[in-house]
Amino acid sequence: MSGIVIAIVVLTILALVFGVLLGFAAEKFKVEGNPLTDQVEALLPQTQCGQCGYPGCRPYAEAIANGDKINKCPPGGTATMEKLADLMGVDPEPLNATEEVQVKKVAYIREEECIGCTKCIQACPVDAILGSGKLMHTVITDYCTGCDLCVAPCPVDCIDMLPVEQTTKTWDWQLNAIPVKQLQEDTLC
Amino acid sequence: MLTLLEQIDKGTLWRAHGGVHPPELKSLSNQTTIGQLPLAKHFVLPLTQVGDSALLAVEVNQRVLKGQSLTSGTSFAYCPVHAPTSGTITAIKPMPSNHASGIEVLSCIIEADGLDEAIKTDAHHAELSNQEILKIIQQAGIAGLGGAAFPTHIKLSPASEIELVIINGIECEPYITSDDRLMREHSDEILAGVAIIQRLISPKRIIIAIEDNKPEAIDAMQHALNSSTLANGTTRITAVPTKYPSGGEKQLIQILTGQEVPSGAIPAQLGMLVQNVATAYAINDAVANGQALTQRVVTVTGLNSQTPGNYWVQIGTPVKHILDTLGFNGNVANDKIIIGGPMMGHSLPDISAPVLKGTNCLLLPDSSEIADSVAEKPCIRCGECAVACPALLLPQQLFWHSKAEEYDKAASFNLHDCIECGCCSYVCPSDIPLVEYYRIAKSAIRTQNEEKKQADFAKLRFEARLKRLEDEKLAREAKAKEAAERRKGSMSSGDKNAVAEAMARIKAKKAAEAGTEPAPSNDIADKKAQIAAALARAKAKKAGAAAPTSEAAANKESAPADANDKKAQVAAAIARAKAKKDAAKAANTANTSGQSETDAVSANTAPAADDKKAKVAAAIARAKAKKDAAKAGNPATPDDAIAQSEADSATADKAQSADDKKAKVAAAVARAKAKKQAALTGNTAAPADVIAEADAVPAETVSAADDKKAKVAAAVARAKAKKLAEKAKQSIQDTDMAIEPETVSEPIETAISETRQETVSNIVNTKDSTDAENSADASVSLVEESASILTAEQQKKARIAATIAKAKAKKAQAKLQEKE
Amino acid sequence: MAFKLASSPHLKVKLQTQTVMRRVIMCAIPGIAAQSYFFGIGVLVQILLAVIVALAAEAAVLALRKRAIMPTISDNSAVLTAILLAVAIPPIAPWWLVVIGTLFAIVLVKQLYGGLGQNIFNPAMAAYVMLLISFPVQMTSWSIPTVIAQNPMDISLTLQAIFGSMSAEQLNQYKLGFDGLAMATPLDTVKTDLALGLTMTESLSKPIFSDGFGIGWFWVNMAYLVGGLVMLKLKVIRWHISAGIIGSLFICSSFGYLLSPDTHVGPLVQLFSGATMIAAFFIATDPVTAATSIRGRLIFGALIGVLVYVIRTFGGYPDAFAFAVLLANLCAPFIDYYVKPRTYGHRTGN
Repeated sequence: MSGIVIAIVVLTILALVFGVLLGFAAEKFKVEGNPLTDQVEALLPQTQCGQCGYPGCRPYAEAIANGDKINKCPPGGTATMEKLADLMGVDPEPLNATEEVQVKKVAYIREEECIGCTKCIQACPVDAILGSGKLMHTVITDYCTGCDLCVAPCPVDCIDMLPVEQTTKTWDWQLNAIPVKQLQEDTLC
Repeated sequence: MLTLLEQIDKGTLWRAHGGVHPPELKSLSNQTTIGQLPLAKHFVLPLTQVGDSALLAVEVNQRVLKGQSLTSGTSFAYCPVHAPTSGTITAIKPMPSNHASGIEVLSCIIEADGLDEAIKTDAHHAELSNQEILKIIQQAGIAGLGGAAFPTHIKLSPASEIELVIINGIECEPYITSDDRLMREHSDEILAGVAIIQRLISPKRIIIAIEDNKPEAIDAMQHALNSSTLANGTTRITAVPTKYPSGGEKQLIQILTGQEVPSGAIPAQLGMLVQNVATAYAINDAVANGQALTQRVVTVTGLNSQTPGNYWVQIGTPVKHILDTLGFNGNVANDKIIIGGPMMGHSLPDISAPVLKGTNCLLLPDSSEIADSVAEKPCIRCGECAVACPALLLPQQLFWHSKAEEYDKAASFNLHDCIECGCCSYVCPSDIPLVEYYRIAKSAIRTQNEEKKQADFAKLRFEARLKRLEDEKLAREAKAKEAAERRKGSMSSGDKNAVAEAMARIKAKKAAEAGTEPAPSNDIADKKAQIAAALARAKAKKAGAAAPTSEAAANKESAPADANDKKAQVAAAIARAKAKKDAAKAANTANTSGQSETDAVSANTAPAADDKKAKVAAAIARAKAKKDAAKAGNPATPDDAIAQSEADSATADKAQSADDKKAKVAAAVARAKAKKQAALTGNTAAPADVIAEADAVPAETVSAADDKKAKVAAAVARAKAKKLAEKAKQSIQDTDMAIEPETVSEPIETAISETRQETVSNIVNTKDSTDAENSADASVSLVEESASILTAEQQKKARIAATIAKAKAKKAQAKLQEKE
Repeated sequence: MAFKLASSPHLKVKLQTQTVMRRVIMCAIPGIAAQSYFFGIGVLVQILLAVIVALAAEAAVLALRKRAIMPTISDNSAVLTAILLAVAIPPIAPWWLVVIGTLFAIVLVKQLYGGLGQNIFNPAMAAYVMLLISFPVQMTSWSIPTVIAQNPMDISLTLQAIFGSMSAEQLNQYKLGFDGLAMATPLDTVKTDLALGLTMTESLSKPIFSDGFGIGWFWVNMAYLVGGLVMLKLKVIRWHISAGIIGSLFICSSFGYLLSPDTHVGPLVQLFSGATMIAAFFIATDPVTAATSIRGRLIFGALIGVLVYVIRTFGGYPDAFAFAVLLANLCAPFIDYYVKPRTYGHRTGN
C-alpha cells in the first residue's frame, strides 16, 4: 500500500517540479511576436505584388504562418515555394499561377509615350518610379521588384516588363547554353 | 627569431599548400623573340566602363588617332580605353566579348586606315610629382596585365602603408611565356617601371619573383638589376620553385612571406602589393615615353598554331586576325580556342572577340594536347583534390553541395575562398569538372545574395512608402480639421452669406481633391478646361447609355468635320479605321476578307486623294489587307480584329504625327485602350472596341492641335472608351435592330457609309445592328471630343455644344425606344 | 562559328579511377601469393569465384537500375571488393559462402546505396561481418599452414573441398589437422587460451606460434605490407589512414603489454597477425568510406586501430578489423564534419 503512496507522491512532486521548470522556461525564453512569420517573410521575395491575394509580403507571411497555402507566390517561383514547404514542414505543391520560365523582369517605361499621369507612381509598392505630374516618368530599375503592379494602371500602356538581361558580370556559367544561341544566329544569317 | 624582412633578405621561402605540376610545355613558344603582329583591318574595343564610371568621348564616323582615349571619366575607378591605331569609328554597338560567356558588350569598332598615326605625346620628365605620375598611369589606361586587368592606378594609391612590393614574374600556367620573353628582352624597361613603383609606394623591400624554370629570365633580370639604380639592397630577385599555382597572388605571398591574405581581404591589408612584370613594363612605357597602353605581348601557342611564339598585339585586335595572320590548323568543329592558360583560361565561343588588356595567351591546342572533357564518373572521395587545393578547401564537400544545389552548405565550406585555379579538377581521377560546379554554385550564390539584398531593400522601401502614405493621410486630416475650425470661426460671425460661400468653397475643394486623387495630372493651369472635361465625360456616359440614332450621328459628325482641314484628315483616318474593322468583321462571318479589305482601301484613298500621308496609310492598309487575306483561311477570331484595330489606329496616328507630337500620345492612348478592351469585353463586344479606338484617335489629334489640354482629353477619351465598351456590350445584347446609316454630304462620311454599306451587303442582320451602333456611338463621342476642344478655346461654346449633345442623345434614346 | 567550349582547367592528369583500382589490385598480389602459399590455392579459387560473381552481380544490378554497364564494370572497383572479401574467407570454405558474401557486398552494400562512391560501408567488410555472424563455423574454419605444408592440396582436392564433394571427414582433416589436434588462427588460439586461464607465455608456446608470430600469418602480413608500401610509393593511397591504424594499434598494444604481459598480446604479434596489414593498407584505405581530410584520415585510422585493439583484447571475436572498419565507416561523416581543414586566409578551421 505504501508503495502506491510513495509512487503517487514522487510522481506528483516530479510533475510539479517539471511544471514549474517548464513554466519558468516559457517565461524566460519567451519569444516576442511570431518568429515563424519573420522566417516566412524572410523567404518571400518582397515584391509586394499582391498576387497572393494579400496586400504585401508581410500579410502573406502571416497567413502562411497561420496555415495558408504556400503556393501563392508567383514571383518567388518554385524555389521559394520549396523553401517554404521546407520551413513549414508541408508537402511542396505546384504554384497556383501558370507561369513561364522564371525570368526576373523589371518594368521599363517607354518614355516618349508617357503622358505623365503619375498613376504608375501611385501603384508602385516600392516607390521605384520617378516622375511628376505631366512630366515623363521613369523606372529606377535597380529598385524595381518586377511586381507588375504598374502595368495595369498605365492609361497609355507604355510600361513594358522586360527580362533583365544577362551581362558578363551576372553570367551563370551555363556553358552549354551558348551554342544554342549561336545556332539561332546561324539560321538567321 | 628573424624578422620578416631579414628572412626575405635571406631568401627564405615558405611552402604553399597543395598545387600541382602540370606539364610545362613552355618551350613551344619561348624560343623566338617577341614578334610584331601586323595591324588588323578593324579593331574592337569593349567599352565596359561606359555607363558606369566613364562617358563615351567619340562618335561614329569620327577619325581617331592611335593612343586617343575613346572614353572620358573623372571617377577614381575610371580606366580609359585607347584607340590602338588610327582609323575611323564605324560603329559603337554590342559585340561578342572576350569572356567565357561570349555575351555581347558595348564596343567601339575602329576601321584602321593603315597609317597608324599617333596622337602627339610628350615624353615626361623626371620632375613629376607622385600625383602626376599616378595621373599619367591612369590616363594611359594601365590595368593589371597578368590577367585580372584591375586598374593599376588604384592599386598604386593604397590607403595603407605598403612595406613589400612583389613583382610577379612567376607565370606558373603551362604554355604561357609572354612574361618570360618580356623579362628576357626588356629587363631594363621592367626595372625602370619597378623604379617608378618604388617612387610611388616607397616600400621597404621589392621582390621580383620568378619561377626557377625560367633561368634565362632570372639571369636577364639579375643583370639588369645590377646595372639599375634600384640596386641598393631593397630589391632582390627570388627564384621560386616551379609549382602551379605559385603565381596566384595569395599563393605567391604565402611562398615569399609565409603570411596568408585574410579571407575577403586584399594584400594591402598585410602591407603588400603584387604587380605583374608586364604591368611594370607598361608603367615605364607610359611615364617615360608617354605611351598609352595600346599593345601587349600575347603568347600564341599550342600544336594548332603554325607559328607559335610571342607577339606584340594591339589591344582590340580580333582573335580571328591573329589566327589568320599566324596560321591556325584547327577547325571549328573539333578544336578549342583558349584565352589564357590551360588551367584557368576560358574557351572562346566567338573568334571575332578582341584581345584585351588581360589577354596574355592565345592557346590553340589540338585534340591530342587537350582532350575533350570526358563524362564524369562517381566521386570516390579519394581526397586528391583536397591535397591539391592551394586554398586548403575540401573540394569534394563543395562538389557534393554544389551538385545538390545546397548552396548555403557549399558556402559554409568557404566556397568563396576558391580561387578557381583548377588543381582539383586536374587531379580528379573521376574526371569531375569540379571548378565548373563551383563557378555555377558561386554565381548562384551571388544571385541569391543579390536577390536577398533586393528583397530586403524592397521591403524597406515598401515600409517607407506605407509610412509616407500614412503621414500624408494624417496631414490631410489635420488640414481638414483646421479648415473646419476656421469655418466654425467664420460661422460665428453670423453672416449667412459668408457661411454659404465657405460651404461652397469647401465643396469645391473637396471636389478638386476627389478629382486629383485618381489622376493628379488634372491639376493643370486651366481649371475651367478641367471642369469642362468633366462635364463632357459625364455627358459621354449618358450618351453611351442612350444608344443614339443615326440622325445624331450625321449631325454630330459634321461638327468636327468642318472645323478645319486637319480635322478632316482625322476623320479620314477614322473612316479608314472603321472600314478596316468592318472588313475584318466581314472576314469573320463570311470569309471574304480579301474583297472587303480592298474596298476598305479604296474608301481610304478616296477622301485622301491628294494627301501624302493618306498614301502612306493606304500602303499600310494594303499590306494589312494582304495579311488578312492570308488570315481569312481560318476564321478570324475577334482577337484578330482587335489586333488589327490597334494597328489601324497606329496607321491613323502615323498619318498625322508628322507635325504633331501629341498625336503620338493619342495613338498610345488608343492602343492602350484597344488592349484593355480586348480583355474587358467578350466576343460580342469586339465592335465596341473598334468604335472606342477610332474615336480616340481623331479626338486626340484634333484637340491636340496646339493645346496642352490634349492630354486631359486623352484621359477623357480613355474613360469614355472603357464605359462605351461596357455599354455597347449591354446594348448589343438588348437590341437586334438594324439601323441603316444615313448618307452624309461630307466626303468622309460618304467613305464611311460606303464601307459600311459594302460590309452590310456581306454580313448578317445582327452584325448590321452592331455596325449601326458603332457609327452612332462614334458620333456621340466625337461630339464630346469636339466639345472638349472647344472648351479649351472657349468655355461657353463648349457648354453649348455639350448641351446640344445632351439633347441629341436624349432624342436618340427616345427614338430607340420608339423603335423597340 | 562555335568553337568547342569547356570550363577550365583544360588539362587533366591522366590518372583515372580504374587505374587507381587496378594498381591496388596489383599491389595485393604479393599478399595473395603468400596467402596461397601458406593456405593452399583455395585462396585463388575463392578469388576467381568472387570476381566472377561480383562482376555478374554488378552488371545485373546496373541493368536493373538502367545505368550504363560497361563504364562502371570497367572501373575495377567490384573486382577489388571481390578480392578483398575472398582473401578474408577461409580458403576451403564452401563455395556458397563466398557467393553469398559477394552478392551481399555488391548488391546490398554497394549498389543499393547508389553504387561506387555512395556506399557508407566498406562492401567487403560488411559482407565479411554478415558471413561471420551468419555462418560462424564455416567462417572460422581456417586451414592450418603447417597442415597444408605437410599435406599440400592440389587443385582437384581444393575444388572438391570448396564445392562440397569432399567427405566431411577429409575436410575436417584439413581444417583441424590430420592429428586431430584442433588448431585455430593465432589470435583465436590466444583468445581461447586466455579465456581458459592460460598466460600469454603459455599460449605463445603452442605450435602455431612456433615462429613467434603465428606460422604463415606473419609472412602474409609482411607481403601485404610490401604491397602497401608500393601503393604509397605510387601515390595510389596516402599514408594517413595506414599510419593511423598501425600507430594507434602499436601504441595501444604496447601499453597493454607493458601493463600486463601475461594477459595481452605483444605489439608485434598484434601488427603481424590476423588481418592487420591487409586491413591497414587495402581495406581501411578505401576512400569512399573513409574520412576525407588529412587530419580526418589520421583520426579515422587511429579509431580503427583502437577499436581493433579493444575488440581483439576484450571482445568476443578473435580478429576485429571488419568490425573496427565498419564502426569507423559510421564515424567518417562525423569526423569529416568536425575536422575541417583551416581554409587559406581563415584564422580558424571551420
